[in-house]
Formats: sequence, structure tokens, C-alpha cells
Amino acid sequence: MPAPNKHCIFYRVYTIKSRRQCMTENNTARYTARFIESARRVGAEVLQVDSLQDAVTYIKDKAKGTALVPETSLVRRHHLRALLSEAGVDVFTEKFRNAGQMPGTGVTFCNFCLADSGTVVLESTDEEIRLATTLPELHFILVDPATILEDNLAAVEPMTTFHQGHAPKFIAYITGPSRTADIERVLTIGCHGPREVHILLVNGISSDLFEN
Amino acid sequence: MATDETYKKSVEDAIANPKLSKALHLFGDAYLIARENAFKGLDFEAMRTELAAMKDDVRIRRKELLAEFIKNAEAAGSKVFIARDTKEANDYVIKLAKEKGAKLIAKSKSMVSEEAHLNKALEAQGIRASETDLGEWIIQLAGQRPSHMVMPAIHMFKEEVAELFTKESGTRLSPEIKTLVDHARQRLRKEYFNADIGLTGANFLIADTGGIGLVTNEGNARLCATLPKVHVVFAGIHKLVRNMEDAIKITRLLPRNATGQLLTSYITWIRGAVPVSGEQKEQHIILIDGGREALYESQVCQNALRCIQCGACANVCPVYQTVGGHVFGSIYISAIGIILTAFYEGLDKAKEITRACIGCRSCVAVCPAKIDLEEIILHLRNEVTKEYGMGVVKNIAFKAVMKNRTLFHSMVRAASKLQRPVTQKKSGGSERRIIRHLPLHFMEKDFTEWRDLPSIAPKSFRDQFNTILQHVTKPLYRVGFFVGCGADFVYPEVGVSLIKVLNALDVEVVFPKGQNCCGIPALYAGDTETGVDLAKQSVEAFTEANVDYILAICPTCTMAVKRDFVDRLADHPQWSAKAMALSSKTMDAAAFLENILGASEKLRAMDLVKDSGSTKTVTYHDSCHLKRGSNVWKEPRALLMASGHQIKEMKNSDRCCGFGGTYSFLSHPQISRQITKDKVATIEDTGVKIVATDCPGCMIMLKGAVGKADETIRCAHTMELLAESLNENY
Ligand code: SF4
Ligand code: SF4
Repeated sequence: MPAPNKHCIFYRVYTIKSRRQCMTENNTARYTARFIESARRVGAEVLQVDSLQDAVTYIKDKAKGTALVPETSLVRRHHLRALLSEAGVDVFTEKFRNAGQMPGTGVTFCNFCLADSGTVVLESTDEEIRLATTLPELHFILVDPATILEDNLAAVEPMTTFHQGHAPKFIAYITGPSRTADIERVLTIGCHGPREVHILLVNGISSDLFEN
Repeated sequence: MATDETYKKSVEDAIANPKLSKALHLFGDAYLIARENAFKGLDFEAMRTELAAMKDDVRIRRKELLAEFIKNAEAAGSKVFIARDTKEANDYVIKLAKEKGAKLIAKSKSMVSEEAHLNKALEAQGIRASETDLGEWIIQLAGQRPSHMVMPAIHMFKEEVAELFTKESGTRLSPEIKTLVDHARQRLRKEYFNADIGLTGANFLIADTGGIGLVTNEGNARLCATLPKVHVVFAGIHKLVRNMEDAIKITRLLPRNATGQLLTSYITWIRGAVPVSGEQKEQHIILIDGGREALYESQVCQNALRCIQCGACANVCPVYQTVGGHVFGSIYISAIGIILTAFYEGLDKAKEITRACIGCRSCVAVCPAKIDLEEIILHLRNEVTKEYGMGVVKNIAFKAVMKNRTLFHSMVRAASKLQRPVTQKKSGGSERRIIRHLPLHFMEKDFTEWRDLPSIAPKSFRDQFNTILQHVTKPLYRVGFFVGCGADFVYPEVGVSLIKVLNALDVEVVFPKGQNCCGIPALYAGDTETGVDLAKQSVEAFTEANVDYILAICPTCTMAVKRDFVDRLADHPQWSAKAMALSSKTMDAAAFLENILGASEKLRAMDLVKDSGSTKTVTYHDSCHLKRGSNVWKEPRALLMASGHQIKEMKNSDRCCGFGGTYSFLSHPQISRQITKDKVATIEDTGVKIVATDCPGCMIMLKGAVGKADETIRCAHTMELLAESLNENY
């Protein structure tokens, strides 16, 4: 079904519902498919799982070394640290600066995604989030498909909202693993950031673009 | 002059090292494919028009937007410093480092820090700066400067990198790319942790948020901005954008145009003093002018500051592909590098590279900021000429001879007689007039070694015109023919063919004898005065002729009459009005035939294939000025097909042939030679024996070079092939 727009005769009907709801109903499936394709094209692993528990099991199987799991509101709400520990993942409990220069694993949620480029957007003002997403070898990202936007033009609105007021902000767009082509123009994965990015799509985490 | 000699030697050295040129060609080819894929479904033209308008608005409102940026950044806890020049910027960093007792600065890529020679300035104060971008680190270890804006170490090979890393680490590393990248990952990780200060550039300074944006692939900028307690942003003032929407729109163009990626691995948006180890980070933003204000104020060159540093103008440039960025650039590389060098380092530093541009306009076609790079380079070349002169050779050729039409034409006639004894006889028809030594001894000695040169025709077109009988009883149009020097003196048969084709389609041809050279060669050499004089002569001649259309068979001439005459005569109102009137009715012969006459339908109706019995296969070379200057490329193909030809396309049919007018003869014969070699190879690859083109300049280049490589390949103007298809009745 095409995206509702102002010229669409159903536009009024759509707008009676909330805009988010409207987007969720009509576009999620389309954007999800596009997102999966684009993210894979740039070298991310993408998997649709049925529940957070399934995602945790996947992470347990793949994780290396100690895992940095920053305490964000979604991590608390979904008891992610506890779930991971119970599954047998070595969740790091101190300040992440003490985890060494090359920790094995980082696990985070995200704010929203961009379907056309396979990008994950993560508000990372909290330093622990930045450390957990830049230092480790592997980065696991939990995504609610309801937060997948069409493209970066659609991100203008939430990005502008993020910057209202004057509070310091650090927002990261992550598109696949770290890469370089600086030696003989040969694409090589894993330069300074994570070598592997695993994106796990789980319904019902949170459809709020401003929460992670 | 010493610098001229050094420059000449650097060109020769670069050409003696074909490995680099080969790598750059492979890269250029792969780049075009990746870029095309990345823009699929998007309207590049609309996107770049929007970007240009946005950047222009920023230019006009820069004072207000800069103040807004500073206010917002400070409100979020950043410290902002405006540096008038790069020295002030360096001094600020040094002072800060001393205050913090800093010994090590971890740096991610910043072009303006290259411009400032920041690393050297820090080193002199005992502060070590470690580059963390892989390419930048490699060239830092090698003690070199970047040779490409996006891929700074593009000129190096893995063996050299392995050598450097081995020397730095003391352990032997094998020249495998994966191993080398892993080594850099491990080694540089320590630097982020040990650094007292992290320094990054900025791709955007966003006025209404006070934040910056960083576009990277490796992830080093994120680490530089996260681990050290102090973050320094080193950025040129032209990185200003109005709001988040502007910045996001640039992210849709920049990676696609730079590397063919839809987005880079990371885009990092940082506003203010974010937390670090439970405290507030110190963030210092240094905004550097360093010549940018002066560039903004230059009416002719200001558009250069629209640049978003995608590096594409280098990727597609035939001169860059031939000699690399160390020769064709300074801090900044290729087309944009010429302009920025002139403004940031001084005209003197840019004097050779302004002449090295061949004028093919590939860079203009690909620039996402819609900068007319070639036009600006041309202007700078004129400035160079005003300041430093043209050198003796061009002074004689253009000033003394060109302005005087009769002298010029009689000198050509004399040359034509003089050269005859050395003209070679060849078997295949029109190829016979080829000489190996042109009797104009002011040219360089060795330049006939690598390709044949055309000789001057025994009888110029202007001397033949009156003898051509035209049978057009009821002319549809009367057109004036602007012959141009190439067709007048070297290939008059092209003009004769054109008349045959036009007559067959009921068009009468007029030849105003007062016309002279279009003046482009003089302008390209930086001689504006002669250019103006020549324009007046031709404008006068064609105004008097009072014709329906003016046709040229040389795309450079078309551009001159259509566009340049008006600009060139802008200071003489009565002349520019006349030039304007001519401009609207001037076009290339192929464009006239197809778009005004609808010739391909008429030719098809004549059923020329049946008459001649079989179709001929040709391959088509797009001349730079015809395709990118006049957007004509479908037309000659349509005409050739309608007249019984089949077209087998060569690879990169629109890549420059290396001619560039006087460029190939006088100023840069070595570079031109390399570019031509590539062209010949792609022609040979098609296996086709006829190359068609619509430019006498390209013909000079191709006939000479192809002839030397394979005598059975013929190069012809589209008009010649059309004329040959018309049977005796026409
Ligand atoms: S006009 Fe052609 S030769 Fe000159 S800088 Fe642009 S691409 Fe290079
Ligand atoms: S001038 Fe245009 S093509 Fe060249 S780097 Fe700048 S934006 Fe890119």
C-alpha cells in the first residue's frame, strides 16, 4: 500500500488516527524489508526474531569476551542486563573505561533506523553508550521495526527535535561495520570501530523514537 | 626559473611511473559505476541545484549565521574561537595543549589542519600529534602530504605501507591489506586512550543547533571525540549550514558522490560539552578563515566555497589520473585544488597547475555543488598570465599573429607550402596529409615522436568555398558556417561534407569571409585581449551575413560563439548586443540537423542502407565540449544510425582524448600523451575500424595517435560519414 500523503483521498481518515499509528500500519512491513536489504548490503548481519528472549539467546551464542551493556531506559525497562547475565553472557558491571582497550562485545537498543541506507541511529550522549558502541569488536543492536523510517530526509524531524534547547548531545548514525579503503582502495572491514554489527529486529520494544 | 623546472621534472617523474596512473584509472572506472548505482532513482541535477542555492544563501548570510552558530555552541558549553589565519589557529591549539600539559593529540582527518601544517607546528613545541585515519597515518609515517582529499594515501601500494609499519613497530609485517589494517587498529587504539586531546575536523557547522557533523567510515573520529577529555574541532568557516535539514541533505550527496556509498559507516552529530568520565568535556571549536573571506568576496571564484570536499573532481579528471595528486594539486587536489591553492597559498603557487588543466569539464559534470570549476580555472589562468606573462612562445603565436587575420591566414598558407616535402604518403585516402615534423620550429622538439601531427591542408576551406556549387532551388534555411581553424586549415573536407549534407536536405550555406579564429586557444593560454579582438571580427562578419542559423562543426567554436562572445564583449555594449543576437541562433551542425531539421527521419526516408548495400560499423568518441559543453551526444548517434551506420560503443566514450588545444602541443605534451594512449586502447578494444567524432581537435589527436597504433583504423568527422552515405543523386 502506498504511503499516505496529502493528495491521498484517505489522508483525512489517516490523520484522525495518530501519525505514528498510521505509519506503523502502512509502512512498517515495507520499510523493514528495505532496511534488511540495505543493512545486509553494507555488511551488517540482520535477523528477525520472535522475542527479546530469542535475541538474548542469539547474542549469547555469538558474543565474545566481556559485554558492555549501558544502562539506558530501555535496558532497564526490559531487564536486558539481567536477561543477558542469566543466559550466561559476561556482562561488565564497572565503568566501561575499566574494560580494557579492546573489549569483546557491546549491546544496545537504538532510537530509530533509516530503511534506504540500512542505518541505525543511536542517541549516545551518555558516555557509556559511546564506549559500548565504539570500542568492542562486536556490536549487537536491538531494533523495534516500528521505528524504521523511510530515509534520512524522514530523519530531519526527529533530529531537529533532539536538538531543541541547549543540552549537549551526541548522536551516532551507524551504517554497517567500520570500514576503510585507504590501502590500495580495497574495502576492508574493521578499521577502528566494531568489526561486526548484528541487528536483531524484535517487535514491541518501543516505538518511541526518542527513547533508547 | 627554478620552480618551472622542478614542476616539469615532477610531471616527467609521474609519467615515468605508470603504476600509479594505472591504479588511478582503475579507480576512476570503478568510481563511475559505484556512483551511478548510488544515485539510482534520485535526481542528481535537482539535488545539486538545491545544494548550490543553499550554499549561496549561506554565503550571503554568513555573518548572521556564524553569530547564530557561536551563540548556540556556547550555550551548549563549547568554547568558540575565530582564527583569522591558520597561524592563529595553530597558536590556539598550542596554547591550549600547554595549559593542559598535553603531550599527545589524537587527530582524525581535517584538511584544514593540513592547510595549517598543524602537526609540524605542534612538533616544534614538543607536542606529538598522531593521525588516526588510516590513510593520514600512512602518509604521516611516510612524511608526505595527501594526494587525494578522500583517500589521502591513494598513491601508495601495500608493499610500501608494510615497509612503513614494519619500521614504525619494529616487527615485520607482511604486505597483506587485512594484516596491515589490523595492525593499525591495535596500534592506534593506544593513542586514543593515551591522548590528552582529541582533534577532529567538521563536515558541518550547524547554525541553529550549534553542533557539528562528522562524516567518516573508519570510526576514528568517534574515538577521538569520545576518549580524550578535551575535544578540539578544527574547521574552515565555509562548513557552515543553516540547520539540520541542510546538513542531512548534504549527507545524501556527499557519500554517494565521494565513494558511491549511500551513507558512510558513521555520521556523528556532536553539540556542546558532552559528559566524559563523570565530568563535562571541554570542547573548543576553532573556526578558521585563512583566505576564505577573500574567496567569498571574489565575484568570479566565490562558488568554489560551495565545495563539500567529496573528491569527485579528482576521480574523473584525466590530468589527475595521469600524474596523480602530488603533481596536480597542493594541499587540495585537482580542479578544486587549483582554485584553493591560488587563494590559500597564493597565485604564485598555483601558476603551473592552472595551466595543467586540459579544459575537458568532466569535473564540472560531476561536482555535487554545481561549481563551474573549469570556468574559474580559466579565469585564474588569465590572472596568472597578467601577473607572470605567457612565456615567449605563446606571446608570438597569439599576440602578433592571431589578431591579424590576413597575416595569420597567409602564415598558415606559407606553412602549408613549407611542410609539403615532409608530408607522408599513406595508402588510406584522407590519412595522407600527415607529417612527422611540423615546420613551426618554435614547438618542442620531441613531441612528434609519439603521434603523427596533421599537416596543414594545401588549400584551406576559405580558399575552396567559392568553387563549391550549391544546388538548392527552394532553401528551407540559409545558414552561416563558422568554420573554425581546425576545419579551415587542417580538415577542409569536413566543411565540404557539411555543405553536401545540408544541400541534400535543402539548406543553403553562406560563408562570411571576415570570420576569424574563435579565440578560445588564445583565451586558454590566458590572452584575453586577443580573445576580445577575435570575437569582434567574427561578430561583425556574421551580423552582416544575416542568416537563419549559424553552424559550427567544432564544439569549441560553438561554445565560443554561443556563450563566450557575449561574456567576452560584456564591456562593449554595442558589441555584446550583437553577440547576444548571434548566440541564440548558433549551434553545432549535428544539433541543427537533428533538432531543427529532423534529419534522421529524412535520411531514413532516403533509404541509404539499401543504396549502399550494407551497414558500416563505427564507434563514437564524444568530444568533451560537445557532450558536456552543449549536451549534444544523442544527435550524432541518431544521424549516423539513420544513414546506415551501426554503433558499437567504446568504453568511456566521453573520456577526454587528450587534445585540449594548445595544451597538447605547447604546455603539457607529456600528460596529453598519456591520456591519448588510454583513448586509443579503448578504441582498439572495440575492434571497430572507424571512429566517428564531431570535433576537429579530437580528430587531430585521434588521427595522429590511432594512425600510429593501427593504420587500418580510420577517424572521421560525423559530417564526412553522412556525406559518404548520400549517393550520387544528392
Ligand atoms: S576541466 Fe578536465 S582537466 Fe581541467 S580540472 Fe576539470 S576534469 Fe581536470
Ligand atoms: S569541487 Fe565539487 S567535485 Fe570537487 S571536491 Fe568540491 S564538491 Fe567535490
